[in-house]
Amino acid sequence: MKLSTIKGYMLKEFTELWRTRLILMVFLMPSMVLLLFGYGMRMEVNHARLLIIDNDQSVYSSELISKFEHTKYFNTTLAQISEKEALHLIKQAKIDAIVIIPSSFEKRLLHGQRSEIALFVDGAFPTRATTVESYIQATVLSAVSDVAGKRKLTPKGVITINQRTLFNQAMRDEDAIVPGLIGLVLLVAPAILAALLIVKEKEKGTIFNFYASALSKGEFLLAKLLPVFLLHSLNIFILFLWAVYLFKVPFRGSFALYWFTSELYILISLSIGMLISVITKRQIVAVVLTVVVTILPGFLYSGMLMPISSMKAESYIEAHLFPVMYYNHILYDTFLIGQGLASDKIIYYLFILVGFFILLFTLGRVLLKKEMS
Amino acid sequence: MSTLELKDVTVLYKKHIGIKSASFAAKSGEIIGFIGADGSGKSSLMHAIAGVIRFLGEISYKGTAYHSPKEAEKIKEYIALMPQGIGLVLYDTLSVGEHLDFFADIRNIKKDAKFKEYREKLLHMAGLSRFIDREARNLSGGMMQKLSLICTLLHRPKLLILDEPTTGVDPLSRLELWEILDSIRREEGTVILVSTAYMQEAAKMDRVLLFDDGEIIANGTTAELIDSIRPYVYKEDVCQSKSCLSFNKKSYSLENLNGAHSEPTLEGLFFVNALKTSKTLPKIERLERSQKVDLPEVVMEARDICKYFGGFIANEEIDMQLKRGEILGLLGANGAGKTTFIKMLLGLYPIDKGELTLLGKSIRSGKDRQSLKSKIGYVSQHFALYKDMTVRENLIYFANMHKIPLAVAIERIERYSQELGFARYMDELPTSLPLGVNQRFSIAAALLHEPVILFLDEPTSGVDAIARAQFWEILQKLKEEWGISILITTHYMSEAEYCDRVVLLKEGKKIADDTLEQLYSTHPNAKSFEDIFLSFYREKQG
Repeated sequence: MKLSTIKGYMLKEFTELWRTRLILMVFLMPSMVLLLFGYGMRMEVNHARLLIIDNDQSVYSSELISKFEHTKYFNTTLAQISEKEALHLIKQAKIDAIVIIPSSFEKRLLHGQRSEIALFVDGAFPTRATTVESYIQATVLSAVSDVAGKRKLTPKGVITINQRTLFNQAMRDEDAIVPGLIGLVLLVAPAILAALLIVKEKEKGTIFNFYASALSKGEFLLAKLLPVFLLHSLNIFILFLWAVYLFKVPFRGSFALYWFTSELYILISLSIGMLISVITKRQIVAVVLTVVVTILPGFLYSGMLMPISSMKAESYIEAHLFPVMYYNHILYDTFLIGQGLASDKIIYYLFILVGFFILLFTLGRVLLKKEMS
Repeated sequence: MSTLELKDVTVLYKKHIGIKSASFAAKSGEIIGFIGADGSGKSSLMHAIAGVIRFLGEISYKGTAYHSPKEAEKIKEYIALMPQGIGLVLYDTLSVGEHLDFFADIRNIKKDAKFKEYREKLLHMAGLSRFIDREARNLSGGMMQKLSLICTLLHRPKLLILDEPTTGVDPLSRLELWEILDSIRREEGTVILVSTAYMQEAAKMDRVLLFDDGEIIANGTTAELIDSIRPYVYKEDVCQSKSCLSFNKKSYSLENLNGAHSEPTLEGLFFVNALKTSKTLPKIERLERSQKVDLPEVVMEARDICKYFGGFIANEEIDMQLKRGEILGLLGANGAGKTTFIKMLLGLYPIDKGELTLLGKSIRSGKDRQSLKSKIGYVSQHFALYKDMTVRENLIYFANMHKIPLAVAIERIERYSQELGFARYMDELPTSLPLGVNQRFSIAAALLHEPVILFLDEPTSGVDAIARAQFWEILQKLKEEWGISILITTHYMSEAEYCDRVVLLKEGKKIADDTLEQLYSTHPNAKSFEDIFLSFYREKQG
C-alpha cells in the first residue's frame, strides 16, 4: 500500500470529477430526489369530496353530519337525491364518497336496534379509497360514542374506540416519507458513482494504466472508492438538513448513530457499484443496471409504501435480502423514535449491515480482475 | 543471453484463437517489430507479454518466468504497455503536465530533481514542452500518441510494448515517434516490441515477426526475410497454376516460372505464405455489366467545400475533381477530414459552404440527389452490413433498397458471387467471415444497381495484405471494364501507387492534388509515395 500512489490517483479522480462536471450530479441528484419526492409523494387524504344523503332528518343524523362537516378530511355536501343519481356523480368523478343515512336511523338506535348506514367509496385509487373508508368509519364511530356519552347510554354493541397513532401523532406524510427517501438516495447515488468511475476507465481504455502497472488491486480500489465515500459523506449532512429544517421532520434519536450508520450504508452502496463495474463494460449499462438493482428494492422495501412487518411470504423474504430495510429501520428510529442502541434489534441490524458490507466488498474485490476479460 | 523469452504462448478467446504457440526471444536494446493485418494476433501476444490477459505457455523476463497475469505482477514495474488506439490511455480532461504527474504517481516515482530533469527531456523529445497546460482532448492524434509514449516511458521501463503506436498518425509524427524509440533503446538498453500495420516501418526494426491469422509465419531481420522468398518472386508474368499469383508488377510462384526474378518486398512474404498454405482468395477473371456507362468528362466537381463541427474545421475550402474513368485516392492521416468529405458528397452531412456538381448536376438540396442515387455506389468505412442476416439476405436487402426487380437482382447476386469469388459464403453470417470476404461482398452490394461512380471509405483498413492486393485488382477491373470513376480514401500511403491521381489532406486542408507520374517527377529523390507525402507535410508545416 503506497500512500503517495493512492493520493496521486485520487487527485486525478477529483480533477476529472470537477472538469467533467460530474460533481454536480453527486450533489444535485440526492437533494433533487429528496425535494421532488418529499413534496410530490402524498399518502394522506384531505378534503375528500363527500356527499351525504340524509333520509332521516333527525337530531342524531344532523349530529352525525356535523361531525363530518367539522373535520378537515372531508368537504361535505348535503343533497336530497336518489342513490342512483349519487352513484352517477361518483362515476363522473365529481365526488369521492357517498354516505346515506336511512330514514329510521334515530328511531332504531333509540330502540337499541341495528341501523345500517350505506357507504359508497370511489375505488379507482385503492389506497386512497381505503383511507377514505377508514376515515368515514372512524368519524361515524366517534359520532356514535359522543351521542352515547351525552345521553349516558350504554347501548349494547356500541364500541368505544380509543385510537392513537404512535410515533407520528400528527400523521404527517413528511415524517413517514422523508427518512425513507434518505435510505433510497444513499443506496442509489454512491453505487452509481462508484460503478461509473471504474467502468469509465474500461470503456475509454485507460484501465490499461491499471492493468499494466504495478498498482495493486487494493490501491486501485481505494483510489476509486475513497472519493465516492468522501463526497457522499457530505450528502449525509445535506440530506439531514433538508429533512429536519425544510420538511420539519422531528429528530428524536442520536445524531452519532445516524451518522455512523449512514457512513456504513454508503460503504455498502459503493460495494454494490464496484460489483456492477466488474460485470459491465459500458457506462450506460452500468448506470441502468445500478438503477435497477438499487432503486427498485430501495423503494419497495424502504417501508415507505408498506411496512415490512405486514409483508407476506416472498416479499417478506425479499425485503430481508436487501440492506435498505435494516438501514431504514435504524433511520426511522433516529428520526421518529429515538430508542437508539437501547434496542437490541438496532444493534442486531447494525451487525447485519456490517455483514452486508464485508460480504459485498470482498466479493467485488475478489471478482475484480487485473486482466482483460 | 535473451532478456525476454517466450515459449509456446497461446491466447484463447471464447470463440477464436488470438495467437497460437508463439515462441521467440529478444535481447536488451533490440527493437522487435510485429507486422501483420488486424486480427492476426499481434495485440493478443502483446497483451500476454504485458501480463494483462490470461495465456497458456511460458514467458520469462530476465529469468523470472510467469504463466498468468497474476504471476506477471512482479515484473510489472519493469514493463510498460501502450495499447492500440489513439490517445487510449489518456484522460480527456487532464492536461499534458497532469498526465505526467499522474503516471509518475501510479508508478510511484519520487518527484526529485532527477525526475524533473528526465520529465523535461521527454517533453522536449516529444515536442510537447509548449503544451504542458493543454488538455488531452485538444491535442492532435500525433501529439496524443507522443504524450502516451512519454507517459509510458516515465518509469524507465526495461521492456516497452507498443501496440500500433503509429497507425493513423500523420507521417511526420510517425518519424518523431521512431526517433524517440531509437534514442530510448540506445540510452536505456530497453527491449522494445512494436507492432505496426505499415510495412515501410520494418526498416527501422532490428528484427521482424510476421503475423498471419494467429500465427507467427516468419522471424528474422528484414534482409533475411526478403532473402527467404527471393526464389519465389518474379517479374510480372502470366499465372497459370494455382500456386501462382500476380500483383503490383510482380508474380509470386512456388513453381519455377522461368522468367526473370524481381526484388522482393516484405509484403511478398504474405503472398508466398498464402501460396504455401493455399489460403488465397479466388482470383477475379472478369466482371460483367448490363447497362452501358455514359459519363461526362468531369464526374464530380467540388469547389470551396467547407465543413465545421462547432468551432472545429473538418474541411476547409476543398476543391476537387473526379474525372471520367479514373481512380482518385484521397489520402491523409486519421482525422484529416477524408470521411467527412465523402459524407458530404453523399449528402450524409450537409455542406456548410461551397458548391458541388455531380454528373453535371449542381447539388443544392436533397431533392437534387434523388435522381442520382441510382448512379452512385458507396462502401462505408466499416462495411454497413447487417450482422444477423446471411450474405445472400444482405445482398437481396440492398437490391430491394435500390428497387431492382427481384429476378434481375438474384441473377446479378449470383453472378457477382461467382465473379468476386464469395459464392461459397453466401449462406453464412458476415461476422463469421474474414474481413477480406466481407469487403468483397460489400463491394458487390454497392455494385448491384450498376452505379457509374463508386465512393469507397477506407475499404482496405484492417484487411490483410493479400485481400488488399486483390481488392485493388477488382477496382482496376471495374475501371477498365466498366469505365466507371472511383473515389477511394485510405491512410495507407503505399496504396497511393494504385491510384491514377491522389489528393492529400492534412487537418482538413488540401495540400496536394496531382497524378502519380507528375508527383514522382517533381520528387525525383522519393523512393516511395511515403517520402512524397512527407515532403508535402514538411512544406506545409512551415
